[in-house]
Amino acid sequence: MKPFDFAVAESIEGTMTALADGWRPKAGGIDLLDRLKERTEESDKFVSILRVDECGKGVEAGADAIRVGALTTLREISENADLGKHASAFAQACGSAATPQLRAVATLGGNLCQRPRCWYFRQEAFPCLKKGGGTCFAVDGENHFHALFGGGPCHIVHPSNAAPPLIAMDATIEIRKGAEMRSVPAAEFFVLPSKNLMAENILGPDELITGVTIPRNVVKSAWVDVKQRQSYDWPLAACAVARVGGKWNVILAGVAPIPWRARKAEEVLAGADALSDELAASAAEAALDGAEPMAHNAWRLAIVKAAVRRALLKADGRSTESA
Amino acid sequence: MNIDNRVAIENDKARVDARPKVTGAAKFTADIQMKNMMYAAFLRFPYGSGELIEADVEAAKSVPGVIEVEVTAPRKAGYVGANIGYVAGESRRAVQDGLAALKPKFRRGEARSHAADFSEGPAKLSEGDQARMDALFSKGAAVVQATYSTQVQTHSALETHGGVVDHRGDSAEVWGSTQGTFAYLDGIAGACELDASKVVVHNEFVGGGFGAKFGPDAEGTLAARLSMKHKRPCRVMLNRFEEHLDAGNRPGSIQHMKIAAAKDGKLLGGTIHIEGVVGYRKGGGDATNPALYEFGNVVKSGSEITLNAGRPRAFRAPGWPQGVFAVESMMDELAAKLGMDPVAFRLLNEKSARRRKQLEIGAEIFGWNRRKPDGTWPGVVKHGFGVAGAEWPTWPTKAGADIDLFRSGKVEVRAGVQDIGTGTMTVVADVAAYELGIPREMIVPRVGNSTFPEGPGSGGSQVTRSVAPAIMDAAKQIREQLTELVQEKWDGAKVSYAKGVFSEQGGSRSLKWEEACSLMSGQKLTASGRIKQEYIREGISDGVQFFEVAVDTETGVVRVVKVVAIQSVGRAVNRLMLENQICGGVTQGISYALFEDRWLDGPTGGMVNPNLEFYKIAGAKDIPEIIPIIDATPEDTGVRPVGEPCTIPPAGAIANAVANAIGARVRSIPITPQRVLEALATKGARS
Repeated sequence: MKPFDFAVAESIEGTMTALADGWRPKAGGIDLLDRLKERTEESDKFVSILRVDECGKGVEAGADAIRVGALTTLREISENADLGKHASAFAQACGSAATPQLRAVATLGGNLCQRPRCWYFRQEAFPCLKKGGGTCFAVDGENHFHALFGGGPCHIVHPSNAAPPLIAMDATIEIRKGAEMRSVPAAEFFVLPSKNLMAENILGPDELITGVTIPRNVVKSAWVDVKQRQSYDWPLAACAVARVGGKWNVILAGVAPIPWRARKAEEVLAGADALSDELAASAAEAALDGAEPMAHNAWRLAIVKAAVRRALLKADGRSTESA
Repeated sequence: MNIDNRVAIENDKARVDARPKVTGAAKFTADIQMKNMMYAAFLRFPYGSGELIEADVEAAKSVPGVIEVEVTAPRKAGYVGANIGYVAGESRRAVQDGLAALKPKFRRGEARSHAADFSEGPAKLSEGDQARMDALFSKGAAVVQATYSTQVQTHSALETHGGVVDHRGDSAEVWGSTQGTFAYLDGIAGACELDASKVVVHNEFVGGGFGAKFGPDAEGTLAARLSMKHKRPCRVMLNRFEEHLDAGNRPGSIQHMKIAAAKDGKLLGGTIHIEGVVGYRKGGGDATNPALYEFGNVVKSGSEITLNAGRPRAFRAPGWPQGVFAVESMMDELAAKLGMDPVAFRLLNEKSARRRKQLEIGAEIFGWNRRKPDGTWPGVVKHGFGVAGAEWPTWPTKAGADIDLFRSGKVEVRAGVQDIGTGTMTVVADVAAYELGIPREMIVPRVGNSTFPEGPGSGGSQVTRSVAPAIMDAAKQIREQLTELVQEKWDGAKVSYAKGVFSEQGGSRSLKWEEACSLMSGQKLTASGRIKQEYIREGISDGVQFFEVAVDTETGVVRVVKVVAIQSVGRAVNRLMLENQICGGVTQGISYALFEDRWLDGPTGGMVNPNLEFYKIAGAKDIPEIIPIIDATPEDTGVRPVGEPCTIPPAGAIANAVANAIGARVRSIPITPQRVLEALATKGARS
């Protein structure tokens, strides 16, 4: 492992000063530890933010919205009854990530900000674009699990389970810089590699996610992921859907460098009051619009389709068959 | 013939080392820390082929704590993971920083990464063979020509390869993660330039070994050399990356078969050509095909495809899981063509009478009659049923064991063989307890030490069957010695012994075990046992496994729902350990059939999944209900091999179950969602 300096923040002011001084935040440390071991993490100064309440402790149930602190663990989210009822997709997605051991430690903020799991990015031996090199090795290599949508010049898929449901539910992400707070729609938080190769979101180095806010006007929502292995695996494709007010949001996961809005699917669903099997199937078909499969990953399109259809029916309270 | 190494049949006590293992008290090689210990690690070539063009050796040497750097540039490398030098230092960190400071620059060469690109197809037959086979195929009511391929599987033992060597000038203490105490002793003594009598190997606890962990290999040898040179303990343990790349694997295979069967269901024969997928040089790529059935007139040939990657080594039932995957797939394809039930078709062609019986009984226990015609299960998620068999030979091996009986009545049993997680330590205690007629709690079993009597390595599932008779022999001597003491006390009366009590024959006197032991004038009685020639007999362990799978036809995801695994075991020693071995073999087989795959990058030859995140191994949620059925065969010769045969059938049985479920066949493992979806698409295009 790469050697590093480690500090524990005791106050929000201390935390923000440390970030401004070039320290990187460490919460659950799950992804960070991997990157340190792989020697793919550039920084060597880390500050634990776990002791600072203002960095995002707790779940607050308001009348119009639920605020979830960034330090809330995936397990706490998956077991929270209020979230289970009013933000089902979010609770389900967090409960399906990783393993029980990891969910007990991994935080919401970390899940949103984790780096991609691309197997070229993760190995020192491959100097890929995202590491400042000159090649995306996936283009001519083993791209079976790479992007189906929105790829190029780097073809990662975004690994967060928590983000797609948040976007589907029109949630906002709360960002702190110094003493300033701002709030951005979750849908605007992530950026494609064509905009910024070196980062997957808009968060500045001196900024910190402190929480997310989920409006209460989510009527129904659901998450469906499809994994090869049922214990500890990344989805081959997944889908978060939510009906917010009178509109369906359909966000694909694990198929694009950012959580991917299936616009055509949303258009197909727009205006319909009831969700028939046929409508769900047409929306699923439409979700493939704009797909740009690589040499070895077109087989995952069928899985995307299944995930979208099943997520819609699941949100609608209908049972679907799956292995 | 009454061969009496049958023991403790209804014993089902938990493992003796359960507590130390779950509390962490058990010390593995990876746990050994010694005062003044130094560390070393190898520099590994990250691509398929090419050259190390430069490395900053001086920078590495100047890293605080680095003791020694042995890297020479330029240096050519022929495979990914090739060991191209090392750094030694005061701590793991110093070693890692030293490796990083080398800032190695590599030139990449052309890599042979994907076996399919180099396949030359079925073999060209000689004119005579061709004519013979043409005649045979023309007689066949069903002829199937198919190519089956299997992936490279890495051993992935939880404890990586490695050793700790403390060379003390004229002797050495060694800890090795090894499945062969005495193979390790032999190798390490050589590396230490010492006679084996001056070296002690400790391997009391070993975190798994599947055939690639016998001798000390490069890592143990380096630890020995450095310890000797620097006169201090040295530790070299591989990391997970190295373990995947350069510690051995099960070779891949591309198996071209064309087989004919007659109208009555009898196999007539055909051609089998195996292309073994091996490492950077040839060797070790054969697959056991044909197998299990009377295949008739077969022309078999083989060749090997080299890749710029680590080479094969023995891996649980070497050659068998890959061969039987193809054999059993072919059996089902032929049965389907003949319109026969797969079990009925096997009964007609099965070589072994025992497996025929297992097929019949297993089908009933499993509920084979629930099986529907291929692809006809209703709904999106389709269930399918498959069956496959296994056999595994027993071969002669020598083993010894010592027993000390103390005045207190307590017993210590020592055998040099290792327990790689299979339960050897437990079996040693169980056999001694049974033979001495005393509770297991009175016995301290000790294994994994080269100063104890020699026994075989854990290869071929032969440890229990070899060491059990040696313990029995020693126990018999101890019983006799104790009986003599009692007899002496009773002035020569005839004495009999059973279950902890000595009794006077034709008299009323009796003595309990502890009372008899207190008659010793000294502190202990000692006996050395060895396996007697009469126990060393050949034989076969047979097994048949039934699998039910559920296949999601929209996503291609396969889940195993239920397994019935019947295994002949000879004489059962400990029921829990046996069931554990059966379920373990099935689990490893499921993992091979559905998940594990060494994935090489086409252009660079680098391994893209040298970890346990993307090198997928079946986890808890992937394991179904497994019903282990112990087919105890007391007419057999004692204890039989169990571990390895159980890992042979799953790939073939799962492939058959998937084909039954979806009505289309996946002829390559692992059976991934991609392959299932592609098979379904091909079927859809045909119909």
